[in-house]
Amino acid sequence: MDFKQALIIIISGMIGTLGFSYVFQSPKRRTLINILGGLLVCTIYVVCIQLTEMNFFIYFFPALFATVYAEIMARVVKAPATPILACSIISLVPGGKLYYTTYYFVMGEDALFDATMQELLDIALGLAVGIICVTIIVHEINRHKFKQIIDVE
Amino acid sequence: MLKTVADADAVLALALDIGKSMVRCGAEINRVEETVIRICHAYGFDRTDVFSVISMIDATVTDEKGVSHTQMRRIHTRGVNFRRLENLNALSRKICAQTPEIEKAREELAVICIENKRFDIFVCMGYVVAAMGFTVFFGGSLSDSLASAPIACVLYVINLYVKVTGVNKLFFTALSSFVAGIGAITFVHFGFGNDANMIMIGDIMLLIPGLMLINSVREMLCGDLMSGLLRLLESVVLALSIACGFAVAIMTLGSIW
Repeated sequence: MDFKQALIIIISGMIGTLGFSYVFQSPKRRTLINILGGLLVCTIYVVCIQLTEMNFFIYFFPALFATVYAEIMARVVKAPATPILACSIISLVPGGKLYYTTYYFVMGEDALFDATMQELLDIALGLAVGIICVTIIVHEINRHKFKQIIDVE
Repeated sequence: MLKTVADADAVLALALDIGKSMVRCGAEINRVEETVIRICHAYGFDRTDVFSVISMIDATVTDEKGVSHTQMRRIHTRGVNFRRLENLNALSRKICAQTPEIEKAREELAVICIENKRFDIFVCMGYVVAAMGFTVFFGGSLSDSLASAPIACVLYVINLYVKVTGVNKLFFTALSSFVAGIGAITFVHFGFGNDANMIMIGDIMLLIPGLMLINSVREMLCGDLMSGLLRLLESVVLALSIACGFAVAIMTLGSIW
């Protein structure tokens, strides 16, 4: 991948993030935060593609970063983290892979189905594990703060 | 502090209605359960048991005398509306901090949950911009990106129709995908755009439940197996209906052209 391709991915990913910020009806004052998140996530994604060939890690690190970014921004603007996370990470969400997997399944192309299914699982796991690595830590901190409420037993 | 029998039911009803609204605009299940517990706790009920999946919330509070009160809410439709989610979050924080009268909290909830069923130009532009961006993201050319824009508008109108009338979402997702497929292939046939697959993938990003898939894996890994499984199943079924819609479009036009 040369520099021009990388730039196209980053910019188009950012434009996609801008669009989804409105599709998800995120408050308009958060649009800039979402776009910045999308930009950074795509940049890290492009860097990860250069460094490794394992799909799991290509998607794990951007997800990890996006969650940290969302948690920090959520604290800064006093808003829930989930909307910021969802908007920033949307360009890496394996929509294309999920579509191709089901498309090959419907068309009966077994070999292609197996291959894309494998990739889809890798990507989904990478993203999900990246996200929960951070959310578990944040959840633990919150749990200590509100121990009396959560531990009702 | 409110602790009579009637109040227990009112508090529970309020907490569950807020929880239901949260699920309907795209909150995670553990967040919803936590919100219900916190609201009940704020009104003085120390013991609350909540169980929620993506289509139902069920909760029991136990009052001072040891009497249990149970209510449930059924959730039929879900979408994504982060502005409302943020407002609901603020409302539940306010309720926990100030414990206002139930009626007052209900009035605020009603204001937050007013459904906007008219054409929203910002959301429509969001569809267009997202489709154009992702067409290029997945390797399409600039003309592909322009071709995906009118299709995205049509998808928004279909989506709005589903939201207003509440008809079967699965069927209309397949229909959306069919319409998008017909549009993409027709555009390419008449020289507007180069690759129908690229135009298609940009528009499909608007329909495909990719985020739902990630959230389902995430919920399963966090221990919410039930709602994770339901979400996974829903996203796979939706993706299948999209694939079927596009396959039918290819077969229809393939036999003509």
